[in-house]
Amino acid sequence: MLTERMKSSSGRWGLVVALALIFVALSIVKPTFLTVANLINLVRQISINGILAVGVTYVLLTGGVDLSLGSLVALTGVVAACFAHPGQYPVIVPVLMAVGAGASCGLVNGFVITRGRVAPFVVTLGMMTAARGLALVISGGRPVSNLSREFTAMGSGDLLGIPAPIVIFAAVALVSHVFLKNIQLGRYIYAVGGNENAARASGIRVERVKMFAYTVCAALAGLAGVVLASRITTGQPNAGVGYELDAIAAVVIGGTSLNGGVGGIGGTILGALLMGVINNGLDLLNVSSYYQQIVKGIIIAGAVWLDRRQAK
Amino acid sequence: MNMKKVALCVVVLLILSCGKQAKNDTAKKPVIGVSLLNLSSEFIVMLNKAIEAKGEEAGVQLIVNDAQRSADKQVQQVESFIAQKVDAIILNPCEVEASSPAVDKAVAAGIPIVNVNSETKSTPTAFVGSRDEESARIAMDYIVERLHGKGNVVMMHGFMGQAAQLKRDQGAREVLAENPQVKLLAHQTADWDRAKAMTLMENWIQSYGDNINAVFAQNDEMGMGALIALEQAKMKNRVVVASVDAISDALQAVKDGRLDATVFQDAQGQGGNAVEVALKILRKQPYEKEVFIPFQLVTKDNIGKYLK
Repeated sequence: MLTERMKSSSGRWGLVVALALIFVALSIVKPTFLTVANLINLVRQISINGILAVGVTYVLLTGGVDLSLGSLVALTGVVAACFAHPGQYPVIVPVLMAVGAGASCGLVNGFVITRGRVAPFVVTLGMMTAARGLALVISGGRPVSNLSREFTAMGSGDLLGIPAPIVIFAAVALVSHVFLKNIQLGRYIYAVGGNENAARASGIRVERVKMFAYTVCAALAGLAGVVLASRITTGQPNAGVGYELDAIAAVVIGGTSLNGGVGGIGGTILGALLMGVINNGLDLLNVSSYYQQIVKGIIIAGAVWLDRRQAK
Repeated sequence: MNMKKVALCVVVLLILSCGKQAKNDTAKKPVIGVSLLNLSSEFIVMLNKAIEAKGEEAGVQLIVNDAQRSADKQVQQVESFIAQKVDAIILNPCEVEASSPAVDKAVAAGIPIVNVNSETKSTPTAFVGSRDEESARIAMDYIVERLHGKGNVVMMHGFMGQAAQLKRDQGAREVLAENPQVKLLAHQTADWDRAKAMTLMENWIQSYGDNINAVFAQNDEMGMGALIALEQAKMKNRVVVASVDAISDALQAVKDGRLDATVFQDAQGQGGNAVEVALKILRKQPYEKEVFIPFQLVTKDNIGKYLK
């Protein structure tokens, strides 16, 4: 039963077709689109949303939701920036502090959801507000700037010619893909989302699995916070507004069900890519800001529609 | 946790917060209610500090509320100021139209209301602020001068439809109309946001490359984003970047020779004058209905004056 569920989500042809159509169309209309420089540019731009989307895939697979991601990006970015002034600590310290701060918030989310039996929507909505407040308190409402070169290299440097954010995103996606498909705990996540009672009856400790999912999701938000802060060279307490919805949109476009149990990282990457291509393409075509939003909405809904028709 | 414990916690918190308020409540100081646009924006934080400093100096008791960008919340805050019978209100409006009921209600209740920084459609007792069009004119004039009156400019808009975006757009276009050889190559919104501005600039670099001679960003956050994208593409030495607000990051960047220019909006002057005007009205002294605090261009030549 488990493998069947996963199989139904692996045939993502509708989405691939939609993506290919947009790719071809953009390449014809705008020759600058299909250049190595622009494609690298495009993948770098989706890295942050991509990392968040991979994280929230864990949570959506359990049938939950996490609305606190945007605020967590701001909070962890500020935390990282506080430890990243020149000559202060080695660069690993701000990274660990940010990921640790994210993971702690995720643990709180998971704890209240499972032990307190409160709906994930409500708990993470609370965290969304509280984490934003905490980011403002820590930063005093002002951006935390003057960051070391080593730290900003994570956003703007490269590794063997590939921009660092892409490397980080690719590593996160690869590890998560393998984890969810091949490791027992990963498969439990599908089981919990597919049928919670059946999972519990078969001896899976549902609460722990859920806590794990929320913690991983928020820890990855911490990593995204680090990449964002290093990319824009400040910790911004007001950054990341609405990022959670972009991340959730990418996952859902990628075929992961909002009810849990179905989907995976492959689809999430395609979803994030589609959103990035639309954004990049509309900027290259210089479509007016008002129309951009309409076009984005139509393409997102249209791609999912095409995909679901195929899946039947 | 059981309900009694929760209830107990709530009661204790309420008592504690009441106690904190009561302490400030000393006799006969004039009370001014302040409703601010958004305390997570650096400029508004500076404005607030100026208001608080002046309030302290003048012996005024301030009640400062943060509307968090919501005009609806702002109107509620002003309603509660009216219910508390404050002596005067300082309003830093969220929106031109939607914050107007706040002004109408204060005027109807006979409480003087001073708008600071931006305008509402309804006329308040007095206004203290700057002409937003002027800030964009100053920045665009600087760009035209640097380009010797000829070249291609891209412009980053703030949040579409907000008063500051509309006026800065208007000011920039006025200068462009006077200089037909300076062409607006592309313009797009980056929602006042640094990360979005970086993405937009990267896309423009792909699209227009070396055809871009200058960038005008309607605030410094976006200006900084554009700057970083240009630096990473190793194009900054060929492109002029100017933006508005003079936030501390931008001032530092001007000092370091990275950002070409920013336009200083005087938070100190606006906040301080707002409190002064409110006090003049309360003391029935003559006051000006509109006080305009001028903008100032900041470049490497005069940065020392602004960066402390």
